[in-house]
Amino acid sequence: MKIKLDSIRACLDGVIPGTIATCGADGTPNMAYLSQVQYVDAGHVALSYQFFNTTRRNILANPYARVAVIDPETAAHYRLTLQYLRTEQDGPLFEKMKAKLAGIASHTGMAGVFRLLGADVYRVLDIERVPGQTIAPPPPRGNLLAALRASAEQLCHCTELDGLLAQTLNCLELHFDIHYAMVLMLDAANGRLYTVASRGYAQSGVGSEIALGDGVIGVAAREKTPIRIGHFAAEYSYGRAIRDSLERSGVAPHLDTEIPLPGLPESRSQLAVPIRAGERVLGVLYVESPQDLRFGYDDEDALISLAGGLGAAIQLLQHAQVEPPDSTPAAARRHAPAGGPPVQVRHYAENDSVFLDGHYLIKGVAGAILWALVRDFADTGRSAFTNRELRLDPRIRLPDVSDNLEARLILLGRRLVEHQAPIRLDKTGRGCFELRVERPLELVHIPHGA
Amino acid sequence: MADPVPPILDDEHAAFVCGGVSISAASCRSGGLPNMARATGCRVSADRRSITILLAATPSAGLIDDVRRNGAIAVVFSLPANHRTLQFKGNDARIVPLEAGDQALVSRYVQAFAGGLELLGYSGPLIRSMLACPADDLTAICFTPSTAFSQTPGPEAGNALRSGS
Repeated sequence: MKIKLDSIRACLDGVIPGTIATCGADGTPNMAYLSQVQYVDAGHVALSYQFFNTTRRNILANPYARVAVIDPETAAHYRLTLQYLRTEQDGPLFEKMKAKLAGIASHTGMAGVFRLLGADVYRVLDIERVPGQTIAPPPPRGNLLAALRASAEQLCHCTELDGLLAQTLNCLELHFDIHYAMVLMLDAANGRLYTVASRGYAQSGVGSEIALGDGVIGVAAREKTPIRIGHFAAEYSYGRAIRDSLERSGVAPHLDTEIPLPGLPESRSQLAVPIRAGERVLGVLYVESPQDLRFGYDDEDALISLAGGLGAAIQLLQHAQVEPPDSTPAAARRHAPAGGPPVQVRHYAENDSVFLDGHYLIKGVAGAILWALVRDFADTGRSAFTNRELRLDPRIRLPDVSDNLEARLILLGRRLVEHQAPIRLDKTGRGCFELRVERPLELVHIPHGA
Repeated sequence: MADPVPPILDDEHAAFVCGGVSISAASCRSGGLPNMARATGCRVSADRRSITILLAATPSAGLIDDVRRNGAIAVVFSLPANHRTLQFKGNDARIVPLEAGDQALVSRYVQAFAGGLELLGYSGPLIRSMLACPADDLTAICFTPSTAFSQTPGPEAGNALRSGS
């Protein structure tokens, strides 16, 4: 039976470095070690081009190569016959390999030496099983297809975004044995991703932001491709990504609006998968582990499928009809009048940041939403709102019509809870909520440039 | 008559290639298709002018066939602990009879190589399986290295070998 590339992907991650044999124009053979073999599709692999060396010279003169890879669990040995096709120097494949190489370089003490110049794409002409002794594979960690099925069944019962995100994180823990995860939504107009849900971290980090292109999450969103790293890589660690994005944003120092991104300080395995609806990236599902090589190609496949279902569900919920409150109309509900000392709500027009009693709460669209809500409450006593009217409210300036307002409201609601703020958003039905204010409000607006 | 050209390998190189290093060989079929095989031991002649690699014949059939046809070979030696890598090439490779002690040499080699990898966290049984060679399948290929290169990753990679590099 012909061996399929799909069935030997575990051999490609470089646990046991592969080797490549090539021939020069004069028939002189050459042998070199490979730091990675990237699976491209069922008929292609890509090899990292890092130095202009003999291998490189040879394949440009004579495109045929042989590559040996070894299964890191069974010692099964395969030889691939390859034909060089082209080199890619940017784009999804290049970025995938660049991130993976950073992990490998760091793990092998080659940080600063290994640098990806290109992704050399090869057609796989043949795969040969080399005769030799093997050992029995360890028992499988779990059945990813079964995990996916169980998750899909649970997710289809979710009727609103907040529950859908929470259930996704539950499923990762329960069915995939993944205990560190977060979901970030894309604010495409501003080129940033913001955290709406997380699991496993001491601080939820909800509201934290990362620029498109920063770290595995930012690159996955920008390139619309999964990014997976099997070892700690300083250049993809989030401490650095945040620092860099801070420097670039040039935010005035008095507006200290940074919420730290959650994340393992020395993450050893990272996998970021774009959440898509058709061609559009809605966000990123990110998982990580303190263990080396925790995620393989099969995990990547499973999470892409999970994220595919998640993207479709998010899209569907966004277009769901508004369902009015099930019981008493919101306007008729009466709360005890707010008592206690007033809470100062300070709003900076510059970036729509909102501070409660001097403590930073939120900024951007979610900040603008809160400011509009509290203004309406203060001016007219109104407390019942619908998502639909907020979407059309000119004060909120959604970056674009397709922006996920529900995600902004989740973010705002979580931040208020985490701050134990005397202002809360209570859901009263699908697409409807009530502003609950427990202390008198003192509103302070700081205009732009003030 | 004494050979005026000194051997490419110095004593240190000879000790390196005979140590617990990964050994892989490449050949070239007419038409430019390479073949490759992993070796399970190496010895260097007393005058350091020839290298003999030991390998299992069955998984190396393509390479052995090429060597018989044209004698061209490239052999790379790499120490996993520090990535130091040397490559030697020759044009006179030939299949030679095993010598007494070659089986023992292979056992010592597997011990040294697997031992080094175990220190780096690799599974010993896995590495020993990878290198396992039935006694009656062991074959020897001898060649005179005519060129040598340092292939340790970094700016020096690909440079012709100097003494001590």
